[in-house]
Amino acid sequence: MIATVARVMWLGLLRDRGALMLAFVLPPLMFLVFAEVFSGAGESDLEMRVAILDQVGTPLTGRIAGAITGLDGIVAVPDRPDGASSVADLEALVRRGQADAAVWLRAEPDGNLDADPPVVVIGDASRALAAAVVTGRVQRVLQSEFPSLGVARAASLIDALAGPYTEDQQEALDLALSELDPAALEEQGGDTSQDGLVAQRLLGGGREIDDGVSYYAGAVAILFLLFAAMQGAISLIDERNSGIVDRLVAGPGGYTVVVVGKGLFLILQGVVQAALIFVVAWWLYGLDWLGHFGTWLITAVLAAAVSAWLGLLLASLCSSRQQAQTASAFVVLILSAVGGSMMPRFLMPGWLRELGWFTPNAWVIESWQGIFWRGDGPAELAAGWGVLAATALGAMLISVWLAHRLAREK
Amino acid sequence: MSQAATEPILEIESIAFAYRDKPVLREVNLDLAPGRILALLGPNGAGKSTLIRCICGRLQPDSGQVRVAGANPLENAAARAATGLVPQQIALYSHLTVTENLATFARLAGVARNAVDSAVAETVDVCDLGAVATRPAGRLSGGWQRRVNIGCAMSHSPRLLILDEPTVGIDPPAREEIEKLLTRLAGNGLAVLMTSHDLAQLETLADGVAFLSEGRIAATGTPSGLIREFFGARRDCRVLLADPPTRELAQRLGALGLASGDRDALHWSGLLDEQPAWNLKSALPADAPVTEFRVRRPGLDSLWTRLYGRQPERVS
Repeated sequence: MIATVARVMWLGLLRDRGALMLAFVLPPLMFLVFAEVFSGAGESDLEMRVAILDQVGTPLTGRIAGAITGLDGIVAVPDRPDGASSVADLEALVRRGQADAAVWLRAEPDGNLDADPPVVVIGDASRALAAAVVTGRVQRVLQSEFPSLGVARAASLIDALAGPYTEDQQEALDLALSELDPAALEEQGGDTSQDGLVAQRLLGGGREIDDGVSYYAGAVAILFLLFAAMQGAISLIDERNSGIVDRLVAGPGGYTVVVVGKGLFLILQGVVQAALIFVVAWWLYGLDWLGHFGTWLITAVLAAAVSAWLGLLLASLCSSRQQAQTASAFVVLILSAVGGSMMPRFLMPGWLRELGWFTPNAWVIESWQGIFWRGDGPAELAAGWGVLAATALGAMLISVWLAHRLAREK
Repeated sequence: MSQAATEPILEIESIAFAYRDKPVLREVNLDLAPGRILALLGPNGAGKSTLIRCICGRLQPDSGQVRVAGANPLENAAARAATGLVPQQIALYSHLTVTENLATFARLAGVARNAVDSAVAETVDVCDLGAVATRPAGRLSGGWQRRVNIGCAMSHSPRLLILDEPTVGIDPPAREEIEKLLTRLAGNGLAVLMTSHDLAQLETLADGVAFLSEGRIAATGTPSGLIREFFGARRDCRVLLADPPTRELAQRLGALGLASGDRDALHWSGLLDEQPAWNLKSALPADAPVTEFRVRRPGLDSLWTRLYGRQPERVS
C-alpha cells in the first residue's frame, strides 16, 4: 500500500514538468549561482566570536588583548580573554565553529624585524572571510591604540637599511616613542603601518577546493529539500478537498498509509535532490563526495526526512492549498535565512546565530561541513544527527496523529 | 435467493449522535439487503452526512449500533473493506489514467498486489470503462468521470456501495448511464445506499427511500408505497396565472383546495381527489387568466414538500 502511494507521487511528479524542473534542475543551478557569488565574498563590519590566547602575559600584551576584546562587534570566546590555555585549544575552538577566529599573542611586539609576527590570527579555511575580517580589525586596533609599535618597527627598518642610530638618536627615539600620542599622530595623518606584526593562519587547508563549496552545497541542498517537500506535501490538501481522503478512510487501509507513503516518497526525492547538488560539487569543484559517502548519505536521509515530515505536518495543519503555499514559502524562507542557507551564520549577529540552532538548516549544514571540511566521523556527527532524527520523528508522529484524527473523528 | 443473500449487509439499530450537545441523529433504524438500492433523502442538515460517516466507521455513534457485513465498521477492517464510498466530488487522481486510478484505489482498499490486475479488469468490464481505460482521468467528460468515480469504489469488490449525489452536475444522457450502471450493480447483488436531490430519478431507480428530518427517519418505504400512503388516490394539481387573481378568483381557488405561497399569488397548488382534480379547469371561471393547468400523480417531490414544508432543492 505504501509503495502504491509512493508510485502515485512518482507518476504525479513525472507528468508535471514544472515540478520536475523545480525538483531536479533548479537546485544544482541555484547551487552554482550561490557558490560563484559567495565563495569570493569580501570583508564587512560584522560581529565575530573570537578566542584569544595571551601566551606572553606582559602588561603590553594584556592591553592588546583587552583592546581587541573591547572592540565593538568582537565577542570573546570563552568569556575570559585568557580562556584558552594553549594554541591547540584555540584551534579546536575554531575547528568546532565555536569561534569564528582566534587571536594568538605569542610574543611581545617589538621592533625586531627578523622575529616571526607576534600576533597570529587563526581561522578556518572554510570561513576564511571571518579570519580576514578579524585580521583587519586586529591590525586596525594596533594601529590606532598602539601606534608606537609601528613607529618602532619603522625605526628598526631605517636602522637596518641606513645603519645604526647614534646613542643620542636612539635616546631621542625612545623618548619620542614613549610619549607618542595616538590621537596626535592620527591628526597629523601619520602612517603607522603594522606590517609584520600580524600574521594569519588558516586551518583545514590542503584541500584543493574552493573554501565555500562544502558550505554552499549543504546550504542550497537543505533549502531545496524543504521547498520541494513542502510542495509535494501540499497534495495532502488536494486529496482532502477532492474527496479522495473520504474515499480512503472508508476503506481498511485508512489515511495513515497515505501520509506515511507520501513521507517515504518525499524522503527518497530529497536524497536524490541532495545527491545531484553534491555530484555537481564533486564534478566541478572537486569535493570529495564519494570519499565520505556513508556519512553524507546518513545526513542526506536525515535532512530529507526532516524536510518531508515538516512539509507534511504543515500541510496537515493547513486547510487550503493557498494557505499551505503561503505558509510553506514563509517557513522555508525563514528557516533558510536564519539557519544559514542564504548566508553563512558567522556573518550574523550573535542572537540570530543562536536562533539558527532551532532550524534544521543549521544542523544539516554543520553536519555536511563537518564531514567534508573537518573530516568528522559518526562520533562527532552524532549530536547533529540526533537533533535531525528527533525533529523528523516528532513531525512524523504529529502528522500521523493528525491523519488518524481526521479519519476517525470521534 | 439464499438466506445469506437476503440478510441485510447494512444494519443500523437505534443510533444517536450529537455534535457538541446538539443532536444530529436520533433513534435511526435502517436495513439494507444485497441487491437493493436505498435512497437517503433530506434537506441540508438533516443528518445524511453524519449517518454516512457512521456507516463508514468515521464516527462512533453515541448509542445504538451500526453493522456492515455483521461487524462494526469503526473497529473492524473487514467491515470497512466491504464498503465502497463514492464521494460527491470527483475523488480521482487526475494525472493518472483510469486503470491506474482503479489499481491505486484497489491497492489502498486492501486488494493483494497479485490480484490487482484482475480486479481492475473486472471493474472496467462491470462499469463499462473500456473506452476510456487508458486516458488520464482529468481529461474525461463529467459523465465519464462520474462513472470512473464509481468504478474506483468498486475496484475492491465491496458488498455495500455508498454514493453521495452520484449524478450531480452531469447532463441527462450521462445521468441515464449512471442509473443503468447502478441498476446493473444492484442486479449483481450489490447493496446500494445513495443520497440524491434528483427525486424524479429516484422514483424509478430506488427500491426504497428514507426521508431524514432533524436526525430522525420521518418516512421510509418504497417510493410508490410512500406516495400511496401519504397521498392515496389524490392528484397533485397546479395552476399558473398570468396576472394576480381577483378577490373572487382567489376565493374560488381556495375553495377548491388550492393554496398559493408566492407574493403575487400566481402559483396555486394542492392535492385534490381524482375527480375534482380532473374537473378543475371547468370549475374555474372562463375568463380566469390561467396560463397552465397541471394535474399529475404525486411524486417524491410532493412528499418532500409535505414533509419539509418547502419545495425540494433543484438538481444542478
